[in-house]
Amino acid sequence: MVEEMPEGVLEMMGAADGLTTPAGYLNSQLYSNVFPIVLLIFGISAAAWSIAGSEREGTLESLLANPVHRWRVALERLTGIALLLAVLTFVATALLAALRSPFELDDLGIGALTAAGVATFLLALLFTGITYAIGAATGSKGWAIAGGAGLATATYVLFGLSSLVDFFENVRWASPWYWLLQPSPLADGWTFQAIGAPLLVVVPVAAIGTALFTRRDLT
Amino acid sequence: MNDAPPIHVDGLTKRFGALTAVDDLHLAVVPGEVYGLLGPNGAGKTTTIRALMGFIGPSAGSVSLLGGHARELRIRQRVGYVGGDVLLDRGLRVDNLLSWYASLRDGVSRARIDELCEHLELDTSRKIGQLSTGNRQKVAIVQAFMHDPDVLILDEPTAGLDPLLQRSVLRMVRERREAGTSILYSSHTLPEVEQIADRVGILRNGILVQEDTIENLRDIARQRLELRFSGDVPGQVLDEVEGVSSVEVDGHTAHVVVDGSVAALVDRLAGQGVERIVSHDDDLEDIFFEYYQDGDSADGARDDGHRATETEPVDGPSSEEAAS
Repeated sequence: MVEEMPEGVLEMMGAADGLTTPAGYLNSQLYSNVFPIVLLIFGISAAAWSIAGSEREGTLESLLANPVHRWRVALERLTGIALLLAVLTFVATALLAALRSPFELDDLGIGALTAAGVATFLLALLFTGITYAIGAATGSKGWAIAGGAGLATATYVLFGLSSLVDFFENVRWASPWYWLLQPSPLADGWTFQAIGAPLLVVVPVAAIGTALFTRRDLT
Repeated sequence: MNDAPPIHVDGLTKRFGALTAVDDLHLAVVPGEVYGLLGPNGAGKTTTIRALMGFIGPSAGSVSLLGGHARELRIRQRVGYVGGDVLLDRGLRVDNLLSWYASLRDGVSRARIDELCEHLELDTSRKIGQLSTGNRQKVAIVQAFMHDPDVLILDEPTAGLDPLLQRSVLRMVRERREAGTSILYSSHTLPEVEQIADRVGILRNGILVQEDTIENLRDIARQRLELRFSGDVPGQVLDEVEGVSSVEVDGHTAHVVVDGSVAALVDRLAGQGVERIVSHDDDLEDIFFEYYQDGDSADGARDDGHRATETEPVDGPSSEEAAS
């Protein structure tokens, strides 16, 4: 049945390699769905709180009356969120590695799982960083969540439709989900687009957000 | 640079969109002085203070603390701040928050923190989220005083405190004044500022309408008193008393409005069987009615602060009960 499914549907499920290989199965069931989405929910909500949320709460201003730089507070909070994301990723990857045998996925090496874990972490970090940057630049938790979660959803849909609609296929290079899933680090290891591309985007975005935060009025 | 007053607001203007929250404000506080910034809610007190603390930037003009700007860490190192609506991380225990804040500063000793907490009877083992408003206010006060700052910026610091603790806080403020600290103390009630301030500035709609010593302001401040007599109010006893601008008698009770000192009134009342005197002078609009009587038509009335005191408000907020 699986073989009869249109290629586009398979790709949309993140299973371009086919659902019958271990890598394809995990891609469709885990790496294109549950795993990054859990990380995203955590990262986006924490990032929205880090500046904009605590600012609205009123606690940020109390803290910034102390002799501490705004950029230091901001970057320390972003770093904290990144570390927690990394811990979540590590736990999930370790569980997966430990459960390989019972689920008969022994073909997957630790190296491939690690590469896929790091790539998923970076995808989550990318949208977390965008959320953080919008919140830092505007002080609006609403805009921060809308921006981070909205972009994550839009690029997910874009990638999903790219195998069905020519227009989206031409722009799918812009989707971080494309970077993560095609080719997948699970099958192909440490690819530049899965590892380097998210970092190339998130670092300047976070830097710009932080710079704007140090200059603007607190709300 | 060292000649600048420790707290200096020089032509500060702050606009939020179409709203001008503070308009060309000038004020300075010298070492060892408590400056009371008085005004009703929305007059621009908090905006001025947030600009001084560097939380917001001026639309025009400038602010400085200790010859520098609050954005510099070396300046904030020497500044203590209590914000208007105090919000500290609710999930933290009091001692954790205080140690955290102390760690951001140099040379705050644990002993000093304990001393302050003891002085204010603050239980440091509880979570901030579990504290009452008053106890949360105490945490804010401890963190503002713990490093013996050279400048104190206090935005309604005794809000939510009972009278006994208010006095403790005022005593702490006086101690800092003795030590030469410059203190900006905002409030929306005169009685509070009266107890502590050397000079007072009155803000209205973002404009400093009056700045004077507390002695001079007392001369023009209006007081609303309720006199409870043992029997019916004796006829004519309240007629033509110096300073009394309106009297309304209701059985055993007389409602009196006095401009300036009540000395003449109290002299007249001696031996007249007054059992109780209640003061209703919490309302700033009422006390400085001359500055606020045109509150609803503020745009055209920016200079009315210098109007003669004889003017009896006809449509002002203070006139409802006054029968002259």
